[in-house]
Amino acid sequence: MRNVTLKGLLAHKLRLALTALAIVLGVAFISGTFVLTDTLNNTFSVLFGNVYQKVDFQVRGVAQLGSGANATRNELPESLLATVRRVPGVEAAEGGVEGYAQFVAHDGKAIQTGGAPTLGISFDPDQQISALRIIAGGPPVTSGDVVMDAGTAQKYGFTVGQRVRIVSAGAVRAFTITGIAEFGSANNLAGATLAAFTLPTAQDVVQETGHLDDIDVVTAPGAGKAVVQRDIAAVLPPGVQVVTGQTLVNENASAISQSLSFFSTALLVFAFISLFVGGFTIFNTFSIIVGQRTRELALLRIVGASRRQVFRSVLTEAAITGLVSSAIGLGLGVLAALGLEALLRGFGITLPAGSLVFEPRTVLVGLAVGVGVTVVAAIGPARNAVRIPPVAALGDRQSDSDVSLRRRFAWGTALAVAGVVLLAIGLAKPAIQLVGAGAVCIFVGAAMLAPVAARPLSSVIGRPLARALGVSGKLGRENSMRSPRRTAQTASALMVGLALVAAISVFGASLSRSSTASVDDAISADLILTANGSGQVSGSVPAAASAVPGVTATTTVYRSQFELQNTLATLTAVSTQHLAGTLILRMTAGTTAALARGELLIDSTTATSKHLSVGGAVPVRFARTGSSVLRVGGIYQANALIGSYLVSAAFFVSHFTNPSLAALLLRTNGSAAADKAVTNALAPYPNLQVQTRAQFEQTQNASVNQLLGLVYALLGLAVLIALIGIVNTLMLSVFERTREIGLLRAVGMMRRQVRAMIRSEAVILAIFGAIIGIIIGTGMGIALVSSLKQQGITDTVVPASRLLVFLLLSALLGLVAASWPARRAAKLDVLAAIAAE
Amino acid sequence: MVLPSQTLTGDTRAAPAAHSVDLRKTYGAGQAAVHALAGITVAFERGRFTAVMGPSGSGKSTLMHCMAGLDRPTSGQSFVGDLDIGKLDDAGLTKLRRDRIGFVFQSFNLIPTLTAAENITLPVALAGAKVDQEWLGYLVKQLGIGDRLAHRPSELSGGQQQRVACARALINKPDLIFADEPTGNLDSNASADLLAFLRRSVQELGQSIVMVTHDPRGAGYADRVVFLADGTVVGDLERPTADTVLERMRTLGA
Repeated sequence: MRNVTLKGLLAHKLRLALTALAIVLGVAFISGTFVLTDTLNNTFSVLFGNVYQKVDFQVRGVAQLGSGANATRNELPESLLATVRRVPGVEAAEGGVEGYAQFVAHDGKAIQTGGAPTLGISFDPDQQISALRIIAGGPPVTSGDVVMDAGTAQKYGFTVGQRVRIVSAGAVRAFTITGIAEFGSANNLAGATLAAFTLPTAQDVVQETGHLDDIDVVTAPGAGKAVVQRDIAAVLPPGVQVVTGQTLVNENASAISQSLSFFSTALLVFAFISLFVGGFTIFNTFSIIVGQRTRELALLRIVGASRRQVFRSVLTEAAITGLVSSAIGLGLGVLAALGLEALLRGFGITLPAGSLVFEPRTVLVGLAVGVGVTVVAAIGPARNAVRIPPVAALGDRQSDSDVSLRRRFAWGTALAVAGVVLLAIGLAKPAIQLVGAGAVCIFVGAAMLAPVAARPLSSVIGRPLARALGVSGKLGRENSMRSPRRTAQTASALMVGLALVAAISVFGASLSRSSTASVDDAISADLILTANGSGQVSGSVPAAASAVPGVTATTTVYRSQFELQNTLATLTAVSTQHLAGTLILRMTAGTTAALARGELLIDSTTATSKHLSVGGAVPVRFARTGSSVLRVGGIYQANALIGSYLVSAAFFVSHFTNPSLAALLLRTNGSAAADKAVTNALAPYPNLQVQTRAQFEQTQNASVNQLLGLVYALLGLAVLIALIGIVNTLMLSVFERTREIGLLRAVGMMRRQVRAMIRSEAVILAIFGAIIGIIIGTGMGIALVSSLKQQGITDTVVPASRLLVFLLLSALLGLVAASWPARRAAKLDVLAAIAAE
Repeated sequence: MVLPSQTLTGDTRAAPAAHSVDLRKTYGAGQAAVHALAGITVAFERGRFTAVMGPSGSGKSTLMHCMAGLDRPTSGQSFVGDLDIGKLDDAGLTKLRRDRIGFVFQSFNLIPTLTAAENITLPVALAGAKVDQEWLGYLVKQLGIGDRLAHRPSELSGGQQQRVACARALINKPDLIFADEPTGNLDSNASADLLAFLRRSVQELGQSIVMVTHDPRGAGYADRVVFLADGTVVGDLERPTADTVLERMRTLGA
């Protein structure tokens, strides 16, 4: 029996290769994700190991909000440095500060990093402690000196001795580059830019004069480290702690690994979607194979093969296919990871030298998932194989019986309904696993129901083709209708892909519309000033902007983290003086006047979910000033742009050390001259964006579209696998209809007519899958959007024209998928085809 | 559309419907070479019903394939009318088969997804031409398949299927019809009906038919029988009957 299985596998290498390709791509996606994130994790651990290699201890404020590397901590008094230095066993101690400082490139634009921080730090002259290594020039000496990281210097063409302007929370200032520095062996810190100043200059730039963020300590050789740590701790004031260098490494590594795990989870979701679609393709291929081998399998039964042996034979074929293709996929995964790494390098992120990490887990998961999906997908066809009666070897092939179709219909309906219920519960909760399970049920259910729709829908879709292409189109249409089950199964893979694409389209369009609407609902200012990238608006900007003739009102907007009812939240603050002219607050209770009284405003959604009302008291905590209780002074209609919690700027400034200005809202006399004057007045701040409300909306839309683009690209693989499924089915159909094609050729069908016939069938298949997918996906998208009403997606938009484009694209992709099978069919040797049994 | 047979009803009437000159077909090479056709020169006259007979492996099917533009000979020429079909490319051959030759095979003659009527008019549809409804009606009536036109092949009996195939072969009024064991899968009644129809279409419509068969009774319907053995013509019998064919086969076989 094993021999029969192997011979069966080898006899159909081509169809096997196509089936395998679906698994290969899916597994490559999974293993590529694992390899990449493992590698990044490892390189970051190594990097932080290098950075803190020489540091024995660090003295720092205890975490006020959050924990570990991302915690908010209070600064230390500079005088603490001398105290620490006096502790016996401390060989060296250096204080440092860290904050926002952004270089301005030669072209006058602020250098952006695409997400990574733009850091300003104090240069530590003690080479015993510092992780920075100067590779050209020397350390900063005067208040006009700066050391630049080698990555930025290389990319933007800066050399020692040149002047460079630097944007900070204070004024924009020019410095002289005295040196270029590296981090151990890496030329920058994973994409971040770095400006290192003398300590006093750094304190000035990051506005922490007289304060330190931390003190790095090196112990004297021979001193007992535990003793030194205890002695340091003994001299520290309350709210200050001493931790080991290893703690710092661990905290940073775990912060990185946490943010990477989000990244890898997102990628894995798309990898599994690809494999899910691949599962449909495999199911379909094995169904067709079992169908085509009915006689062979029945003959096996006649000569004495048991049902179990037949079942096992089919599953073994699946398992071997899965195993081989998973192994290939794993290998390709390394390539995928290398490609992604090259991509990161292209974005200027030079990862420290570290080889690719190939964990045993990657191999295990890749093989298990690849083989698992293949075998599970083959169970259905294997059961069908078992049901073939021995007598089938003698007669004609049996067709789908009505009974099995009816049972399929019942099961399909049940599954689809269960899926809808799961999805609804999942979205309401919200529980992402339930949403996923619901979607899977809906897709499988829809795939089971699809054969019912296959014949009538194919007929309708094919009608214009038959009219346009004559007999070729007609035959293509007939072929797509002759086996509704096969048509439906083939189209199902594409259905899943298109459903997700459609759901994302609906979500994206609704998000775009909602964010646009929220701009109009929240902002009445004419101009909106924000810092680009991860930058900050300089503290001197409000004054500069207000002084411009034509500007009639100015509102400053601050934003930072605080704790409310013991959970981290974002607090927004606005200056109250000209509030009415720049910001729209639709109060449902209380008044905006409460802001000036130092009270808290909350949005209606939060008020409902937290059961808060005007006059209520909420416990809050700030990093600097500690716990307090705020009175709820009013409730406004929820708006994504404003956020959930609002206080006055005056209140905010008194509770935060270095309040970072998030935006500035300007009301002007409405003239174009005023807009221009503002832009001109703010030219010295190269990190600022001055936007009209329309431009601001555009930026919001652009970021939504960028995200959508990425998601579409990731779903592209699933669509590609669905197309492979179409190629596969068409190849099998061409093979199955060899005689028929031979006959057509004999009675006068031209090669191009044969090609047109196969292409018509493919286009019908693709449109069929796309239509069902788009319908299901639109439904899912609407459900998703309505569940996010609370999160600020208030408008539901079905982007009809975009969905139509996807439909047409699917038809086009169907054409592409048909090209190989069509060519093969056209090249069939007429005589051999007629003679074929 | 001007049908080829109409253009050929005039002065070329005397030329054979198809003929071959020293036709050879060799499979393999050297010692292992098999000569399916070992130099056949034969003519099939216009307006006649010719049967080609011979034992298995005598080359009768290969001869038909080479003369109908389904296969290419190793050497030699074959003509349809006075057209040397060896000079045609695939598109030319396809067009030739579509417009000037009719086919009736032993089995699997019809496209399962098309109705009987659609199968009959398939060559016309492939050419993008208009169906001659009067001619179609005549054929359908003659073949007695008028009530089966809307049915798919799977709903037709074997005899009905072959009659539909005959109608398709005739729909373009071809120069020549090649029938390859057309009654091979039929019972004797259906066979007799089909052969009688082929006979009539020669007599009444002036159709030219070449039929490959191994059935002496079937050959008895023909005007002439050409006997093949080992890839060569070994005999020629005018106005055969089942008995004379049988007798000739015996002498040839000896």
